[in-house]
Amino acid sequence: MSSTAMTTAAASLQASRVSKYARRKRVNALALTLSLGAMAFGLVWLVWILIETVHLGFAGLTLSLFTEMTPPPQAETGGLANAIFGSVTMVTFATLLGTPIGILAGIYLAEYGQKTWLGSITRFINDILLAAPSIVIGLFIYSIVVARMKSYSGWAGVLALALIVIPVVIRTTENMLSLIPNALREAAYALGTPKWKVIMTVTLKSARAGVLTGILLALARIAGETAPLLFTALSNQFWTSDLSSPMASLPVTIFKFAMSPYENWQKLAWAGVFLITLGVLVLNILARTFLRNKH
Amino acid sequence: MTDKHLSTQFDAELSGISTRVLEMGGMVESQVARSVYALTNFSAEIASDVLATEERVNQTEIEIDRDLSTIIARRQPTARDLRLLIAISKTIANLERVGDEAARIARTVQRLLSSGVSSRLRLPVKDLAYESELAVAQLRKALDAFARLDVEKAVEVLKADDLIDQEFEGLMRKLITFMMEDPRTISSSIDLVFVAKAIERVGDHAKNLAEQIIYIVKGTDVRHNSVGDVESLVR
Amino acid sequence: MDTKVGQTIIEKPKLSVRNLNFYYGSFHALKNINLDIPENKVTAFIGPSGCGKSTLLRTFNRMFELYPEQRAEGEIMLDGENILTSKEDVSLIRAKVGMVFQKPTPFPMSIYENIAFGVKLFETLPRIEMDERVEWALKKAALWNEVKDKLNQSGSGLSGGQQQRLCIARGVAIKPEVLLLDEPCSALDPISTGKIEELIHELKTDYTVVIVTHNMQQAARSSDYTAYMYLGDLIEFGPTNDVFMKPKKKDTEDYITGRFG
Repeated sequence: MSSTAMTTAAASLQASRVSKYARRKRVNALALTLSLGAMAFGLVWLVWILIETVHLGFAGLTLSLFTEMTPPPQAETGGLANAIFGSVTMVTFATLLGTPIGILAGIYLAEYGQKTWLGSITRFINDILLAAPSIVIGLFIYSIVVARMKSYSGWAGVLALALIVIPVVIRTTENMLSLIPNALREAAYALGTPKWKVIMTVTLKSARAGVLTGILLALARIAGETAPLLFTALSNQFWTSDLSSPMASLPVTIFKFAMSPYENWQKLAWAGVFLITLGVLVLNILARTFLRNKH
Repeated sequence: MTDKHLSTQFDAELSGISTRVLEMGGMVESQVARSVYALTNFSAEIASDVLATEERVNQTEIEIDRDLSTIIARRQPTARDLRLLIAISKTIANLERVGDEAARIARTVQRLLSSGVSSRLRLPVKDLAYESELAVAQLRKALDAFARLDVEKAVEVLKADDLIDQEFEGLMRKLITFMMEDPRTISSSIDLVFVAKAIERVGDHAKNLAEQIIYIVKGTDVRHNSVGDVESLVR
Repeated sequence: MDTKVGQTIIEKPKLSVRNLNFYYGSFHALKNINLDIPENKVTAFIGPSGCGKSTLLRTFNRMFELYPEQRAEGEIMLDGENILTSKEDVSLIRAKVGMVFQKPTPFPMSIYENIAFGVKLFETLPRIEMDERVEWALKKAALWNEVKDKLNQSGSGLSGGQQQRLCIARGVAIKPEVLLLDEPCSALDPISTGKIEELIHELKTDYTVVIVTHNMQQAARSSDYTAYMYLGDLIEFGPTNDVFMKPKKKDTEDYITGRFG
């Protein structure tokens, strides 16, 4: 090829490069604009919700919110103390009940049951449970616990919430454990470590950040669940620390108060919304910083 | 070297250096032949030609050695390739000394001619020519065997060395007789003794080449063994 | 394939492999392997990818049992007992036959804990003795000087070469009799590789070392005996000097000189 032939070949190649690039740039700009627009659209609603929540709820943030019980309609004073206590108690117990079950099942699925029939069935049922509407779970507990015991109770509420925690924890535990490379397990086995010890001291420990995040996310979810509590713990106007009796909870109380025509109740409802939103936000941030720090 | 390397570069380098060795072999083979021809024909011209070429022989040895080192450094050769390269290193040293012997013979020719020796003295140069033909033939055979990596041919070269030694001893006796008969010829006869010795050493170098060939192919170092032992080692 | 003809005789083998066949499901990965691993020497397994050298190594500590579709038939004699059919718990076998893998895998704990981990499985040592054992292991792995001031820091904070030496220290700490190294340097830079090769040379005074490597020069440098494998067969086994200068089989010579006909 003569030198002039080569330069013309190179020049035409360059020309086609430039024109194709220009077209790609235009497509890129269009796509970027569209996706930014979609994001902005989503953000707008989120920000609006937060603003409304703060605007309407912040005003109700007083000390009495935490010290006084839910008031009758149109009362002067009142707070959400019993509801807050009820929520915190039931959520804590549900997490304490559901987490060990979830982690152990997750360990089974990831370490023992990757190919067994029991593992496959468990995974399948877990996926269904994960996607089940929480109202169905609430009604289920109603029929087997509340109807039998002939009373609503905090324990029933705990059971219902636990049934929501378990599938979430199973799923995240199994996923996090599966992410741990086999090389790490083999290294532990090669030292003569028995299987359970490999799981507890090496595999689980390596995955602990992810597993903990899963638990926190499950916690955040049940903190705001209303439907399961409607049929199990119901609600209670007064303070009670007896879990075998109906208990107040924030979501149910908000449900009751927000739909009422009474102004004091509505104000309290918004304050409750603010509290829940704040709590869930804090838990999510905690979960994310935890995960980032460990990796 | 039947199969090809994954690296064709390496193959090219190996065959390149083998070719250069054969070229050097051809060069020194012709040096010996011509120096003896200069002797038998009392040609000062051919003798000085041989001496002029000597420099090129030495240069070739240095160049091949340098290429050798480069290949070893870059390719980390093993087994057969390594044996080939080590053998080449020894082979070119032997070939360079063959070149030296040829130069020595050429210088002797020049000395004889300058001291006024001529064909009238009836020196037994023809016997020297015969001895040299034997030695050069063995050298050629050894180079052939190197080109084809032919162990049987190499063993033949080893066996033939005895013939050259016998020829040399015969020559010695003849020259001694010559000196006793005519003391005027002593000085030139002694020069011829040196020439005969040089030719005998060419035969030894051919033998060394043959030993290297056996090393390349069989991996056995047969130096300093008798021919009978070598044959059993090679089998 | 008859591998006994012209085979090197090992006087006192540490491991004796007889008629070993290995299967991945229905795939016949190792074909009738017969091999003696000499005691207190470094033996290298070389061969192209897929030849079965890692597979063979992993039979020595029954690592394949972690995977149900893998099975081994035959004999691997260690101190007179067949480890494949031994009634002993496999953990006890692995305490005698240790392994270091290709990828450095520090456990999620401090450097000290990493080393002590294996020791605690089989021995109860008072704190002072454990400290000594940890120091000894780290010195053996030529890592002590670099980490002696940060034993409580996490193992994952070390560089690649240091992590691999940590894994070697971890394996050495339990005082096995045989040390299996599966391509220990393939993830490392040349200087770390050099340090580990020095280490291997020292280790052989106390341990029998078997190393799998795809780097032939490493096998040539570090080992006393070399086994060449191809497609599940053991082609040749002998002293490294012989294998690399005058191999008995043409296949071996073709492989180590880089020729594939």
